[in-house]
Amino acid sequence: MHEIRVGEDLRGENERVADENRRELAGRGIVSLNVMSAPGAGKTSLLLRTIPLLKERYSVGVIEGDIQTTTDAERIATLGIPVHQIETGGVCHLDARMVHSALHRLDLDAIDLLFIENVGNLVCPADYDLGESRKVVILSVAEGDDKPKKYPLMFRESRLLLLNKIDLLPYVSFDVAKARREAREINPALDIIELSCTTGVGIDRWIAWIDGCVASSRRR
Amino acid sequence: MHEVSLMKNLLAIVDKAAADQGGSPVSLVHLRIGEMSGVSADALRFAFEVMAKGTGAEGADLEIETVPLRVRCGRCGAEAHPRDFVFVCGACGVSDVDILGGREMEVDYILVRDAATDAEAADA
Repeated sequence: MHEIRVGEDLRGENERVADENRRELAGRGIVSLNVMSAPGAGKTSLLLRTIPLLKERYSVGVIEGDIQTTTDAERIATLGIPVHQIETGGVCHLDARMVHSALHRLDLDAIDLLFIENVGNLVCPADYDLGESRKVVILSVAEGDDKPKKYPLMFRESRLLLLNKIDLLPYVSFDVAKARREAREINPALDIIELSCTTGVGIDRWIAWIDGCVASSRRR
Repeated sequence: MHEVSLMKNLLAIVDKAAADQGGSPVSLVHLRIGEMSGVSADALRFAFEVMAKGTGAEGADLEIETVPLRVRCGRCGAEAHPRDFVFVCGACGVSDVDILGGREMEVDYILVRDAATDAEAADA
């Protein structure tokens, strides 16, 4: 009997492909945002609300991830922008390989801002690097203010937290200060924007945040 | 979560490591799983039981070592084991801490049976 040192990460293959994606996207000057949340927090609604405001300045593209159905991609396609739907077929997150294939199905020369809408899930997507520029997590106030503590990895990995559906605050017991404080304990560098896709409040700050991402990537 | 897809990767890694040693039978796989990796050890054990069949790891034991979450303060250098995922330095109070460990998901080592030992075992 003897021991063989291995020291290999179970996500090693994903990391390798994510690096490839990152090089490909950076080489083309594409800024990519991996948008994650629980199901129903408002990922697709946010994109539908945001993209028309960005279309004049950026060539926007979208990769949609869902376990099943292509309805989200169909909704996004009504905006007249390139969109590719990934149906993961039961897999609870997007991985770098799926995004890699999707990148080759989009006309990347016609895109400089790419949204990747992940599968609705606050757990697994946090573990998979897709090669994106930034990770964005959406938490809607209807879900409860304890979510940062319950899903710390998601909030640790993300660069921006969008507190969505704040128009519902009068109807739910969501302590905004507590959610903000606990999210920052997990990730002190986390940006936080409160918004509502229904009323439009805060959307301007989210747009400004995206502009900041694009500007900082162009400076590099 | 996605323990089944992780198990596929694990079995591929083990197969390759064992094949590099001339395909000796694997008797143990030692994994290091970080406290903050989001992976469930029970789900991994179950996936291993079901999926190792027919691979180089069939019949091997799976040993899972939990790696505690450890951080170091970026200002004062104090190391700590944060509870409840509060990333604030207990010594100086700043929240600029680096994660040193606790995110691992790796095959640390495997044990393989030597041909000679096998022959002895067969003789005995």
